[in-house]
Amino acid sequence: MKRWKGSPCDVDSWVALPVLSDEQSQDVELVEVFAAPILDKKETSRLVRELNSLCPLRGLQHVKRVRPCREKPHPLEVLVCLVSDVPQMQVVSIDSLLPSGGVNCNGLGEPFVVKVPARAPLTRPQFELASQHWPTSFHEDKQVTVALRGELFSRHQKERMHAYMASAVTAARDGGMAGMEAIGAVVVDPKTERIIAVGHDCRCKHPLHHAVMVVIDLVARSQGGGVYGFDSYPACRFTSASSVQTEAQTENGTQPYICTGYDLYVTREPCVMCAMALVHSRIGRVFYGVASADGALGSKFKIHTQKDLNHRFEVYRGVLSRECEDLNSMNDHIKKDRGE
Amino acid sequence: MGTEEGGKEESVELFCPSEEEIERWMARAFDMAKEALENGEVPVGCLMVYKDKVVGKGRNEVNETKNATRHAEMVALDQVLDWCWRSSLDVKSVCERIALYVTVEPCIMCAAALRLLNIPVVVYGCRNERFGGCGSVLDVSSADLPHTGTQFKCISGHRAEEAIDMLKTFYKQENPNGEKQNHSACLFFLLLTLHFQNV
Repeated sequence: MKRWKGSPCDVDSWVALPVLSDEQSQDVELVEVFAAPILDKKETSRLVRELNSLCPLRGLQHVKRVRPCREKPHPLEVLVCLVSDVPQMQVVSIDSLLPSGGVNCNGLGEPFVVKVPARAPLTRPQFELASQHWPTSFHEDKQVTVALRGELFSRHQKERMHAYMASAVTAARDGGMAGMEAIGAVVVDPKTERIIAVGHDCRCKHPLHHAVMVVIDLVARSQGGGVYGFDSYPACRFTSASSVQTEAQTENGTQPYICTGYDLYVTREPCVMCAMALVHSRIGRVFYGVASADGALGSKFKIHTQKDLNHRFEVYRGVLSRECEDLNSMNDHIKKDRGE
Repeated sequence: MGTEEGGKEESVELFCPSEEEIERWMARAFDMAKEALENGEVPVGCLMVYKDKVVGKGRNEVNETKNATRHAEMVALDQVLDWCWRSSLDVKSVCERIALYVTVEPCIMCAAALRLLNIPVVVYGCRNERFGGCGSVLDVSSADLPHTGTQFKCISGHRAEEAIDMLKTFYKQENPNGEKQNHSACLFFLLLTLHFQNV
């Protein structure tokens, strides 16, 4: 670990970005709505009140009813109703859109079609895109905003993350030297800042011993369980739970339970098997270096955001991305040597 | 009984268990599940059959190993690998002729593991609404994952109600007030059981 302390500015060479759900990362979807100019500003509050009660915009609670207009003869525009709620007609007039006798259309001009965001924005980028179409309200999750800017982690945290991923990279190289795929993983208790387990891919010996499966079993061993012996691989190791029990843990008698509250650092995005193994193991957070083609934490699936599953967790990509990328070329050499 | 197509066409066509085989091996899997239930364990039975011979079987070993990935299928796959190594047989060519018989739909993790080992056919009893990897939560068995082994064919629904009943009974044993619950509460607690046991 010490050798990384000499080059603290390395932490500026990478950015950890959150891997968000599809809902949080998708483009803004739009829906067509009839709007009309408000010609007489004094009628605005009455119009909004009457429209809100008689023509509520189904599913568009996030959209503001009125927008101000610059560079137009009228001062404001108001949403009248969803285009899909109006039967097909040749000529649309404001009277035909409003329920007869309900809304007094004094002060309203002739209607036109606008596109407004169909769903409430979940992130600041979605909010900014949505607002270009029509004013939209936004309940900001500040942590997501900061994370998307790549500024969630403090310098101290980034130095720790750098050191953990560096250990995973070293383990990956050791595994690569032993003829495995050069993939490494480290499990950390973020509360104590201690490494619980370090492992690398061992699939030459057992096709399911991907680095993540290896460290999950090493964590089990650290808690007095475990199935496999990885003793023939010195780079696969663990710190037994009893020796790292914090004072708090000893005081209230809590024992570590599988990977609850632990963070995983892995050089490459986990596959479906490994990603689901992390759900079963109740992992706290996952940090990976680079994406993988069949990856299940962002590329092919986002198992960490899957609504039907009983455990969800945060995932960040890009930690030490260059060093992790370099491991891929090591893997290409290994495969070439094996004649694959 | 439903059949979903998937997998390498030629190997599936060549290799698919007959009705008689399904009947016979699923009966064995259900016996295993019953035995587990009688011993107060998660009632899931799981068999890997190669050339009419059981080369792997397993039960959930999550609690004793403190490793949440030790589902019955993963335990059985380890036995298959051991058997291949002991018999000096090529793992891939053996696995391509193995059928898995299991009382509950494999979870997402197990489904991916089965793909990675090129198991071509999975026969299962009831769906696993919490974690199922053969269509219930995700369809790993037929997903387009070119770097994750081969797709496999699922034959589902064999004695499904019996498999669910065993899981329900398992929960009732855990909870002495079980008989007072109505049907929906039962289902709710069944899901909770699956949740905690990570079936």
